[in-house]
Amino acid sequence: MAEVRPDEISAILRKQLSGFESEVDIYDVGTVLQIGDGIARVYGLSKVMATELVEFPNDVIGMVLNLDEDSVGCVLFGESSLVKEGDTVKRTKRVASIPVGKELLGRVVNPLGKPIDGKGAINTDKFLPIERKALGVIQRQPVKEPVQTGIAAIDAMIPIGRGQRELIIGDRQTGKTAVAIDAIINQKYTHTEEAKSLGIKPVYCVYVAIGQKSSTVAQVVAKLQEHGAMEFTTVVVASAWEPAPLQYIAPYSGATLGEYFRDNGMHSLVIYDDLSKQAAAYRELSLLLRRPPGREAYPGDVFYLHSRLLERASKLSDELGGGSLTALPIIETQQGDVSAYIPTNVISITDGQIYLESSLFNSGVRPAINVGISVSRVGGNAQIKAMKKVAGSLKLDLAQYRELEAFAKFGSDLDQSTLRTLNKGARLVELLKQGQYAPILVERQIISIYLGTKGYMDSIPVSDVKRFEKEALEFFDVKHKDILETLKKEKDISKQLEEKINNAANDFLKVFKKTV
Amino acid sequence: MADFRILHRYATSLLETSLEKNNLEVVSSDIQLLVQTLEQSRELQSMLDSPVIRPELKLNILKEIFSKKISKESMDFIEFVILKNRERFLASIGKRFLELRDDHLGIANVFVTSVSEFSNEQKSVLQSRLEKILDKKVRLNFKTDSNLVGGFIAKVNDTLYDASIKHQLELLKKQFLTGEISLN
Repeated sequence: MAEVRPDEISAILRKQLSGFESEVDIYDVGTVLQIGDGIARVYGLSKVMATELVEFPNDVIGMVLNLDEDSVGCVLFGESSLVKEGDTVKRTKRVASIPVGKELLGRVVNPLGKPIDGKGAINTDKFLPIERKALGVIQRQPVKEPVQTGIAAIDAMIPIGRGQRELIIGDRQTGKTAVAIDAIINQKYTHTEEAKSLGIKPVYCVYVAIGQKSSTVAQVVAKLQEHGAMEFTTVVVASAWEPAPLQYIAPYSGATLGEYFRDNGMHSLVIYDDLSKQAAAYRELSLLLRRPPGREAYPGDVFYLHSRLLERASKLSDELGGGSLTALPIIETQQGDVSAYIPTNVISITDGQIYLESSLFNSGVRPAINVGISVSRVGGNAQIKAMKKVAGSLKLDLAQYRELEAFAKFGSDLDQSTLRTLNKGARLVELLKQGQYAPILVERQIISIYLGTKGYMDSIPVSDVKRFEKEALEFFDVKHKDILETLKKEKDISKQLEEKINNAANDFLKVFKKTV
Repeated sequence: MADFRILHRYATSLLETSLEKNNLEVVSSDIQLLVQTLEQSRELQSMLDSPVIRPELKLNILKEIFSKKISKESMDFIEFVILKNRERFLASIGKRFLELRDDHLGIANVFVTSVSEFSNEQKSVLQSRLEKILDKKVRLNFKTDSNLVGGFIAKVNDTLYDASIKHQLELLKKQFLTGEISLN
């Protein structure tokens, strides 16, 4: 590096200083009465707004949460040991807000929009408050376009529509985050030219990590980068070591980022990972602010905490541009207990839930989705017709399989039709197993589910099902590309197409049987 | 927090009755005297704070000190406060009353901090400027503080009009730290 001469420095300083105006600065102040545990009571600040940011000494930022008769209660986003009793607090006249825009894509930021990925400042002048009102009835319309997660079990049986709120719930180590990350990675397809020509609009993603280890978040970011998904994704991080107030506002920041896309006629997918930790952070904060505790020591407004967040997911009416914000909140249960306070709350708010079970996970069914109790209340309208057709029989077959599964364990003599149902069910379960970071395009999902439900796999051993699927898809890719193309374009299975698929499948089965 | 509610209520009631009876001036000078006396004499305040001394005795003491110097209405108010067992807030109630009275009369209390004393001419310029900005009558209180380096700070309620060199330097420091300046 070339040396900088002292006279150069002083010249630049002088130039900068000449532009420095000395005017009277007018600002409002208060005095810290009490400080501790990340909470400050401040006397003064008489005109301060709720959720306004305030400035403490040593660059500590706080947010006003309680407005009392003679004092205000603030939460600190920094070290409370840097603030002393009697310190002066300044108003910023800005409610807690976050920079928004496409400039944030590919970045990792904290809940106040400060970049933490070391890639320099974010150049955007658009700021939106992190707490925004959810839309009313007039501004919305029912969901009609699908969000393809790339996970066959979800896209077929628990479809998610753009603008929906679908809960992902399960114990620790059941692959909740994996489902969400796969969903983000699969959105890469929506950014391709091909998707554009088919009228599929791009989906921008926001991944909000709340109360997780920083190393876990770094892994997620690395995975997204590896699969080229960071280009259309923003990661909002409030790690476990950060103060509870930051963890509490993180999901709202994420929602605001998503709303920017929604309000400008684009589509966004926001993942809150996870809301149980956010609720715990909010409980900590409320108890320190001396709000009365309720059930499980959560404050009385813990339902509102989540409902006002998830209500912000929406599909806008066509007059407003038809944008959407899809929310995938994640909840971690303890020992599969879904009747705890926070799980029941969030289940009741969302438009359906995906249950992940550790028993399934351990028996090798991955993703460990319990399709029996997972539902999507509105996503069916968003499913493409072809998928709807094949998924109907898939659901039925699996339901019958589960019913008979218990019997089969006794090993008693079973009649032919029962055996057939069990056989088929076992193959379908095998078919729905899927690796991590390996999302499947929807037309391929349709083909493999079609082959499964029409019984093409019944004659091959269960252990060969996955190989059958893989090779069948390769076969279709090479020899019957037209079938996949028609499925993509028409999004429906016509009589002729069905015949074509059947013929191709029969051809393939003959070849495959020789290899078994 | 509860303290504030108590003294605010007593102070408001005193202000309202004195407005009703049209003797605000008399009452406020009485209260001013009371506040001053209590602030100057620590013994008197600790006597009021003490739970051991009976209220009647407290009342007698206060009566002996003040009855010849203040109006009957003010004395009645003191008696009322003691009757309600709130005598330890007497000084704060008085202060709050004076604040409320200033609010009511449209007087702003401005606390000016500067490095050196203002000359009388400067004071009157400052006063007229502040009265224009605030659209209120202004009562100036002066204080000196050498930490400011230069300039002055005027404080009205919670709002600061900061024209001190110290603050300017802080702003400058911030500007430097945010990287506004780039070499090359």
